[in-house]
Amino acid sequence: MTRSVANAAGKRETPRWRRRLFRSPLAIAGFTLVGIFVLVAAFAPFISPYSPVEQNLRGTYVPPMRIELRGPEGQPGLWVREVSRTPLGALEVGQELYPIRFFVRGEPWVWWGGLLRSDLHLFGVDGPIKFYLLGSDEQGRDILSRLAHGAWISLSIGLIAVSIGLFIGVPLGLLSGYFGGTLDLVTQRIVEVMLSFPGILLAIVLVATLGTGLTNVMIAVGIAAIPVYARLVRGSVLALREREFVEASRALGNRNRRILLWHILPNSLSPIIVQSSLQMAVAILFAAGLGFLGLGARPPEPEWGLMLARGREYLATAPHVATFPGLAIMFVTLGFNLLGDALRDALDPRTAQ
Amino acid sequence: MTTYIARRLLAVIPTLLGVLLTVFLMVRLAPGDPAQLLAGEFATPETLADIRQRFGLDQPWHVQLGLYAANVVRGDLGQSVRTRKPVAYELRQYFPNTLRLTLGAMLVALLIGIPAGIIAATRPGTIFDLLAMLGALIGVSMPVFWFGLMAILIFSVQLGWFPVAGTGTLWHLVLPAITLGTSTAAILARMTRSAMLEVLSQDYIRTARAKGLAGRVVIFKHALRNALIPVVTITGLQFGGLLEGAVITETVFAWPGIGQLLVGSILARDYPVVQGAVLLIAVAFILINLIVDLLYGAIDPRIRYD
Repeated sequence: MTRSVANAAGKRETPRWRRRLFRSPLAIAGFTLVGIFVLVAAFAPFISPYSPVEQNLRGTYVPPMRIELRGPEGQPGLWVREVSRTPLGALEVGQELYPIRFFVRGEPWVWWGGLLRSDLHLFGVDGPIKFYLLGSDEQGRDILSRLAHGAWISLSIGLIAVSIGLFIGVPLGLLSGYFGGTLDLVTQRIVEVMLSFPGILLAIVLVATLGTGLTNVMIAVGIAAIPVYARLVRGSVLALREREFVEASRALGNRNRRILLWHILPNSLSPIIVQSSLQMAVAILFAAGLGFLGLGARPPEPEWGLMLARGREYLATAPHVATFPGLAIMFVTLGFNLLGDALRDALDPRTAQ
Repeated sequence: MTTYIARRLLAVIPTLLGVLLTVFLMVRLAPGDPAQLLAGEFATPETLADIRQRFGLDQPWHVQLGLYAANVVRGDLGQSVRTRKPVAYELRQYFPNTLRLTLGAMLVALLIGIPAGIIAATRPGTIFDLLAMLGALIGVSMPVFWFGLMAILIFSVQLGWFPVAGTGTLWHLVLPAITLGTSTAAILARMTRSAMLEVLSQDYIRTARAKGLAGRVVIFKHALRNALIPVVTITGLQFGGLLEGAVITETVFAWPGIGQLLVGSILARDYPVVQGAVLLIAVAFILINLIVDLLYGAIDPRIRYD
């Protein structure tokens, strides 16, 4: 169905769904947002100029720094001045200009459990000062560096939570839809109970039981996704079960397991794929919500929701601390929502025009 | 119809029991001694013994569950660890505020969402349509807690139009209601748009236009009334969803509702209140969905209950 077909000239044609996927500008926007997010998450220490937890008590609540386009002698380039706090807490802007350089050597970092080690950073300032592109927080930590590492946290939460939902919810839906009977009855009751805790409340209930912390957030948000998948898959199985090709397969003497895995599952993949993109958005939003409420990640973890919550206390004096994590959450959620919509339009033949 | 209502009511019972079981298990599965969790960290041995006895914690699980269910049915949800007041009393203090907030948010959602959907549907493909749908997409993706903070920053801190937090006057309600209602408004706008587009392509709309009726009459009298049926369903279902958003919105605005009570109680490990709040939200959610389901039949006479 989704395989490329050879045409008369023997050339491979792009499958229709793939052509449709990139037709709408919103789909492209979705892909771009999700792509940037994944890249930032994957190469967080390279993109961030500093460590996400390193403090600088002389540089707390520094607003996003102004970049000058002319150097001290009028030469073009990107230049910054030092911004620091006086002992009395006032902001002080230095006189001297320092250049910003790309692909610079800086603090060494280890990534992917030691697979990647380097001291190369995307950019950094050439001089004895700190460069806060997006400002610094209450402990003088670089917000950009924290956001980049936070992207990694959000991506991991999203992937693990969606995997939990997939690996438990999809088989449950398949089995209960296909076999029906007592199994279906019991599963549906459990799903109903889980869905009667609206949205994030189920995750809150689970976190209240399991305790806070990132691992428990992943588990809680993942469990909260199970009923969504179970119900979705059950619905498509119920429709597919009665179709002729299933009957034909049974008539050929195929066993239930083969029918389920070879005929029913592949045909219910489209809604699962669409849901997974939307579910990534939900998982990231839930995790950030839990972090914001103080029920998720614990300090000094650079988790976006937690960063937002810390920024709330100084909203009036340092609004940038809460603004950027919020924007990050919004764009990533928007990206996965757009991607989900685009996938739905591309994979569902009924919306084809 | 009567049999349908009876069947729907009966179907709710196992769900309610499941919710009760979940809330019961919360304390039993949480790490630590359930008696300690229910009595609080600094409970005296006497209180602990009293809790053990009252909840039958030294008895088998099914007896405990029975005791718990019997207490809940009698309205006895235990005692708050923090305030030493009955949980039911605490819930009564906080719940009306949540109700006020959700109603306000729903009003905001209806006032923004439905007009936006109509405008988008009657001018498909124009800049109005694009703007409304883009706004709706952003509205759905925007985290409630961040939207609330930005609203506080702009309208309370910088412009000084609204109070930063708290409750009391109608002014206090404006920002929280807008914050909570925005994502629902976005969902309603998308729903209204697609329902209107579908209705507008029907034959009877063409007939109405052909016989010379004014565009306004066609849209409001012929199209909107039919398009509203699915919108009403979604509105009802969103009501439950608002309860979820209220948990976070209340924390942002220090709005003394059930959500703030819940979060505060989790952080303070005040398990009796956590149980009570979770139970209340879930039961309210189930009942709202039930009512919406039943109302649906009253609105759309085409629906038959066999």
